[in-house]
Amino acid sequence: MHLVDHPTRLLFFTGKGGVGKTSLACATAVALADRGNRVLLVSTDPASNLGQVFGFTIGESAPTPVPGVPRLSALNINPEAATRAYRDRLVGPVRGVLPAETVKAMEEQLSGACTTEIAAFDEFTGLLERTGTEQAFDHVIFDTAPTGHTLRLLQLPTAWTNFLDSTTSGASCLGPLSGLEKQRHQYADAVATLADKETTTVVLVARPQAAALEEAARTSHELGLLGIGNQRLIVNGVMPEGESPDPVARAVRERERKAMTNIPAAIATLPREAIPLQPCNLVGLPALRGMLTENPAAAVSAPSRPAAPPPRRRPSLRTLVDGIEKDGHGLVMVLGKGGVGKTTIAAAIAVELASRGHPVHLTTTDPAAHLSMTVESDIPSLTVSRIDPHDERERYRHHVMETQGGSLDDAGRALLEEDLRSPCTEEIAVFQAFSRVIQESRQSFVVVDTAPTGHTLLLIDATGAYHRDVVRHMNPDLHVVTPMMRLQDPGQTKMVIVTLPETTPVLEAEALQADLRRAGIEPWAWVVNASLAAAGPTDPLLVARAAAEEPHIDRVESRNPRTAVIPWLTEEPIGSRRLLEFVRA
Amino acid sequence: MASLQVFDRPLCCSTGICGPEVDPALVALAADLAWLAGKGVAVERINPAQQPQAFAANPTVREELHTHGNDCLPLVLVDGVVVSRGQLPGRVQLAAWTSVPLETSVALPVMTESCCGGGTSGPSAGCC
Repeated sequence: MHLVDHPTRLLFFTGKGGVGKTSLACATAVALADRGNRVLLVSTDPASNLGQVFGFTIGESAPTPVPGVPRLSALNINPEAATRAYRDRLVGPVRGVLPAETVKAMEEQLSGACTTEIAAFDEFTGLLERTGTEQAFDHVIFDTAPTGHTLRLLQLPTAWTNFLDSTTSGASCLGPLSGLEKQRHQYADAVATLADKETTTVVLVARPQAAALEEAARTSHELGLLGIGNQRLIVNGVMPEGESPDPVARAVRERERKAMTNIPAAIATLPREAIPLQPCNLVGLPALRGMLTENPAAAVSAPSRPAAPPPRRRPSLRTLVDGIEKDGHGLVMVLGKGGVGKTTIAAAIAVELASRGHPVHLTTTDPAAHLSMTVESDIPSLTVSRIDPHDERERYRHHVMETQGGSLDDAGRALLEEDLRSPCTEEIAVFQAFSRVIQESRQSFVVVDTAPTGHTLLLIDATGAYHRDVVRHMNPDLHVVTPMMRLQDPGQTKMVIVTLPETTPVLEAEALQADLRRAGIEPWAWVVNASLAAAGPTDPLLVARAAAEEPHIDRVESRNPRTAVIPWLTEEPIGSRRLLEFVRA
Repeated sequence: MASLQVFDRPLCCSTGICGPEVDPALVALAADLAWLAGKGVAVERINPAQQPQAFAANPTVREELHTHGNDCLPLVLVDGVVVSRGQLPGRVQLAAWTSVPLETSVALPVMTESCCGGGTSGPSAGCC
């Protein structure tokens, strides 16, 4: 049974960046409107390309009718714009009254992911309430932002409601929350609406890949915990069966088959539909209308490309490792959104450095740990340690309560417990765990498969300033080096941003870069991972996909002179031998 | 009864747990202020990210910020008069400023540990 046959009033599309949420949400919206329903399509994606898909400018304040589709209107919620407006509302009135330095510090407090969530949630709740009462639309379709964000967006109603119920002191970590309290009944309504099976369907969108399916399973589980049980799965971009002799096409098919065979139990039983891989990103109404039909290939005229262009010569990971090796020691932090292959890149860099005889410490958050288990056994100069973000968070909570809570009375302990429930705690805790090994990087190489955001670093540094001042006061001769200072020094730390050659992942990576720059850190290199263009396929469908990657790779290369492009691999590089091949390919 | 206001540094939380190490003085302050409020003192703790306008609306705070920059924070005012700038007061000071008697039975959370939390978590790349 297809999603469009018996749709609920509200439909949410969720999934990692780049899985095709926008295309599917648009196609569903068009299909429902074509069937005679009045439909509102809402995009909350900061990288919204809704306008691009339909070929016209979509309003941010009021629903705009979509030309060529009677009964369909569209609306953009831009979380970044919402955050700016939110920040301006709070800080704007004091600009020019207080010193610029003070205003800047206030603004940084309101520049983090939590503020974005709060601001976006504010908009979202308001919209949910408005569309819930007015009957202008039969269906409202939300093309939500990438998964982590979506999750929190959907989780927030419960979190805030619980939080507001339990808060008594008003001294919470969730700084910007205070401005929202007056609307608290809206949160409760939002929770009820999301959990109502008759009203709401959550559509989990994934690619037929192990990591994307795992992510969908996590999302499904967490939504389930929130009582949001009406879920469906769409597997998007499935490589169609075919006889082409292209080894890349065969490997793609084989890997997809394996991923689908091992589909996580949490989502295995959900109603599921599969959408075949399209030759290019869908733009325009005919393409959207074809997407959900039985034979999309017939509806979409594939661009005719008789022959594959030869893969261009591009710097490999090895070139980057040469640059890292030059300094003889240092910290390498690999960063990027989930699913882009950070852990693999970090492991490959570490293995290559170690194989050249350098002592290397690889620290990974890889939850499966299979990677570390397979690489550490056979390279003597490589040490692998593993950090579990959840364990670190718990450890940190425990440590704080143990060391700090003891001297407090009940009220003080309650206050501390409350602050430890803050969403930033995990990132801080993981960074702390990493910072224990950062010291080693003065003598040897330390490779870390994740990095804190620039915002977190700025907050940590603001707090660190307290300690610095106290130390300076006690002992003026003592030289103090904060983690921030070490991370800002390119001689000590090299940040490597990993992305995929697709629209949303590149935009997400650029946002990470902008955030780091705010903290005075310039990323050292970029890695474009899993490129079909670099793999040189011959299958016509994959050749078309490879061609679609070129503008994204060009964009990254033109902005970042030190960029490595890594081909899509027919086999996952697991174990040190394969990792070395991966670097040297 | 006196009224006491603490104009905080830009921290995202009142206990400073977001730092590389939890500062015991910040945690203690949060508890001390709660204690003081329990004694009937009108206590207000003002976070710059939550209430920027409270900073701008107070002429004394504005003056301090223009003269000393952010270094004057945390700034403590009792009945509108500056009693402390740039440091975290302990319970003894708080009690003295507001004329609240100290109970001897209470274990005073004075800053006996070093600023770095007494090295409780082993070697860290923290500030020191």
